[in-house]
Amino acid sequence: MSAFVQLVLFFFGVLSLTSCKSDKPEINIPFSDTLSISVQPVFGGEPLFLDSSYQTPEGYDIQFTDIKFYFQDVRNGEYLFKEAALFDYRLRGTSFIETAGDKEFYENIQANLGVSSLVNHNDPVGFDPNSWLYISNSNDMHWDWNPGYIFVKIEAKVDTIQDGNPLFNHNVIFHVGKDENIKTVSFIGINWISIGSGDVFPLKLDLLHFLDTGSSSIDVKTEFTSHTLAGQDGLSAKVMDNFKEALTPF
Amino acid sequence: MKYLLLLFIVIVVTLSCEKDKVDHIPTPYILDIPSHFPVMQIPEDNPMTVEGVALGRRLFYEKQLSGDNTISCAACHSPSNAFSDPNQYSEGIDGILGTRNSMALINVGWNDFFFWDGRAKTLEEQILIPVEDPIEMHDNWASVMSTISTDLTYKNMFFEAFQTTDIDSTHAAKAIAQFIRTMISGSSKYDVMYKAENNLLLTVSEQNIYSTVTPQETAGYDLFKSLNGADCFHCHNGPLVQVQKFSNNGLDAIFTDNGRGAITENLNDMGKFKVPTLRNIEYSGPYMHDGRFETLDEVIEHYSSGVQISSTIDPLIEFASQGGVQLDAFEKDLVKKFLLTLTDETFINNPDFQEPK
Repeated sequence: MSAFVQLVLFFFGVLSLTSCKSDKPEINIPFSDTLSISVQPVFGGEPLFLDSSYQTPEGYDIQFTDIKFYFQDVRNGEYLFKEAALFDYRLRGTSFIETAGDKEFYENIQANLGVSSLVNHNDPVGFDPNSWLYISNSNDMHWDWNPGYIFVKIEAKVDTIQDGNPLFNHNVIFHVGKDENIKTVSFIGINWISIGSGDVFPLKLDLLHFLDTGSSSIDVKTEFTSHTLAGQDGLSAKVMDNFKEALTPF
Repeated sequence: MKYLLLLFIVIVVTLSCEKDKVDHIPTPYILDIPSHFPVMQIPEDNPMTVEGVALGRRLFYEKQLSGDNTISCAACHSPSNAFSDPNQYSEGIDGILGTRNSMALINVGWNDFFFWDGRAKTLEEQILIPVEDPIEMHDNWASVMSTISTDLTYKNMFFEAFQTTDIDSTHAAKAIAQFIRTMISGSSKYDVMYKAENNLLLTVSEQNIYSTVTPQETAGYDLFKSLNGADCFHCHNGPLVQVQKFSNNGLDAIFTDNGRGAITENLNDMGKFKVPTLRNIEYSGPYMHDGRFETLDEVIEHYSSGVQISSTIDPLIEFASQGGVQLDAFEKDLVKKFLLTLTDETFINNPDFQEPK
């Protein structure tokens, strides 16, 4: 066999070996961090517990029985943090959002307080079953297709007759939704706190501040019901504005 | 050489006579879930199979599950009564009455908790309880399974469903749970109204049903959803006509049954009970956790004028201070007409849910 033939054979041998080499696997760097956002309801300076008594600025004893709200399209610019999240204090305590990610991408976070009109009226069975917008997960936070989701739900019982007899027979119900009431919340320069293998961004929800925000205060004796119906627009807007103000970094 | 050949033939014959290993791969059961319903979450350790459902159905109607072989699950969950008990309280084998009305088994696969007080967290867990309850079937699972395992048909069915010869209560509960998860009701007139209202596509047969919806039924539906009407939808909405929660709906000012509170020992749960579905309510009476109301008229009257205030009353019963939503006779009749649209005859009479021959 001539040297040329041997060279050609060698060349093809090398070529065939390299051509058979499997492609380099795509590099998927798993996020080592679990990023979570927690919400601690408080009443002024103290932690708030459901069914416990606190005093409103007007001096009434109040017991909160339910606190729920939606964040939707939670992101920092192009980096999506979570499509949607539902806070439910009675069912899940202070846990709110958990996702795998790198905190470097989330120095700032913006979200809808409520659900965008782009998806608010979608068939709730059409979402991914793991989404908080899915009908089984939204449970009593979904009215129906027309009004869509309840954005903020606060329920409480108040003792408005200050006779020393704790009746708590005055119900407070704020169920606010509808497209026109959506708010945007922004958190800038987030200080993630390392806990174990994850990082937490703790928020607090001050329900005393929610009731007592200066010119926009809510007196639960006279302003106690909003189902976002016609005629309840003013209170619905006030609930959303005050709620947004009451939700701040810890 | 001759002996060697003989030995070889013996070995070949022996091996060829060896019984083949019996094997059976169960057939996946595809649930027929209506398009407007959510996905049903099936436990990973109890996938739905045709064989499991068949076994569960047989066990559901099996009287040998009770101490004196007189009652089955169906005794208190009768098909003709929307799989509930037409009696206020169910009677156990020793003639002892329970203290609560038997819950209707409708769309149970979507429930988050079980029993009126939610003491069982899974359907499989719930199923294990009545067999050993002294005021119900008053037996014990070991004895039941010992009896069942002598039955060749059951032996085969358990094997086909779970590939096991160990017949035990866990597998029995799993099979019954599979059967109950097939009991889906989503073909009532209400479903068609619901789909039409939400612009979901109606089939030709659904369009025909929709054309039979009366103005009274529509008006009743409006009242059902109206905050200033009957205000039912806070607890009974969506395709399941129930939300997953416990509520005190104002039956008593002083509780005779603490309900959820007896389980959690939390004062704020006293007098609260699981919100039931209203599907097939025409057939599932008597009503409430203690079956105190025999008719739908009594139920509507309760919410209209009979609401009692107590420390844990659901704040969503907004007209509690005036005794209820104060419907007039005409409105009550409209609400009742709407409630009857929740009847699903195809569910009640579904041959797949009846006692197997």
